[in-house]
Amino acid sequence: MLDLIPTFFFVLFGALAVGCALSMVVQRNPLYSAISLIGVFVSLACLYVMLAAPFIAAVQVIVYAGAIMVLVVFVIMLLNVEEEVQRPLRLRYLVPVAVALAFVLIAEVAFMLSSIPRQNPIPSNVGSTLSIGSGLFTEYILPFEITSVLILMAIVGAMTLARRTAILSPTARVVPGAQVLTRQTVDPRAVGDATAVESDTTEEAERLMGLGSKARRSDGE
Amino acid sequence: MIPLSWYLALSAVLFTIGVVGVIIKRNAISMFMCIELMLNAVNLTFVAFSSYFNDVTGQLFVFIVMTVAAAEAAVGLGIIITVFRNRESLDVDDASLLKF
Repeated sequence: MLDLIPTFFFVLFGALAVGCALSMVVQRNPLYSAISLIGVFVSLACLYVMLAAPFIAAVQVIVYAGAIMVLVVFVIMLLNVEEEVQRPLRLRYLVPVAVALAFVLIAEVAFMLSSIPRQNPIPSNVGSTLSIGSGLFTEYILPFEITSVLILMAIVGAMTLARRTAILSPTARVVPGAQVLTRQTVDPRAVGDATAVESDTTEEAERLMGLGSKARRSDGE
Repeated sequence: MIPLSWYLALSAVLFTIGVVGVIIKRNAISMFMCIELMLNAVNLTFVAFSSYFNDVTGQLFVFIVMTVAAAEAAVGLGIIITVFRNRESLDVDDASLLKF
């Protein structure tokens, strides 16, 4: 028989998650969507606690509701996204197709759920940090290490995408280790000049630009 | 205890909302958030199975899925910023240069 209190909390947090998810899709302002998504993450974290997975619940709040959503909100505010303009969809049939596919998906899941045998769960405590850590660092060490390579690729990719580079001339050669800066970066007076300045050290750049020679001479005297 | 199928049904509903959002939203950031919702629905399934079958493997996979989601957020938002810098718009219909 169902216990009353777990059922109550499941219905509470499940309804909260579904409500926040619906609100996320319905909202036109991306910032409100982001805040609704945080609601989904937090209610899912509560469900993880009910499923005896406290470590995953904590990571959910810290990584998802903390790090990832801060990044998303930061980008929304950086790009100054206003409300989506209500423009006519180029693919007008997309909304009915989406709703129809959603019903098909739900029907499939309902069919599958009706066909699985009902079972009485055993209370488990597999979600402790101890069991997760021992599993992660013994049996699943290879996926864990591959994950670190993935993170490294993400770092390099994000930096490559975000970098603003100087416009190099076709004959330019770049020595590994050399710096390639825009003239604007080296010389504050050259506003908007994106000519590439290639150098090995700061002194080399100053000598190429004809900058700072007087200052250094006065230091030497 | 709550039956396992309740958790699976909730996860299916969340996943479906995410799919519908990806299809009907035209804003790149909103579509991105709908993808995050779908990843979370799958995570709920993993944790529910892990708890009901008394096996920690599901929670380890949730850990890896979260890492992939974080990497996806970093690279995806970088791409979104680059597209915005070039086109002054977040609408995915505007970025149709490769479309036949």
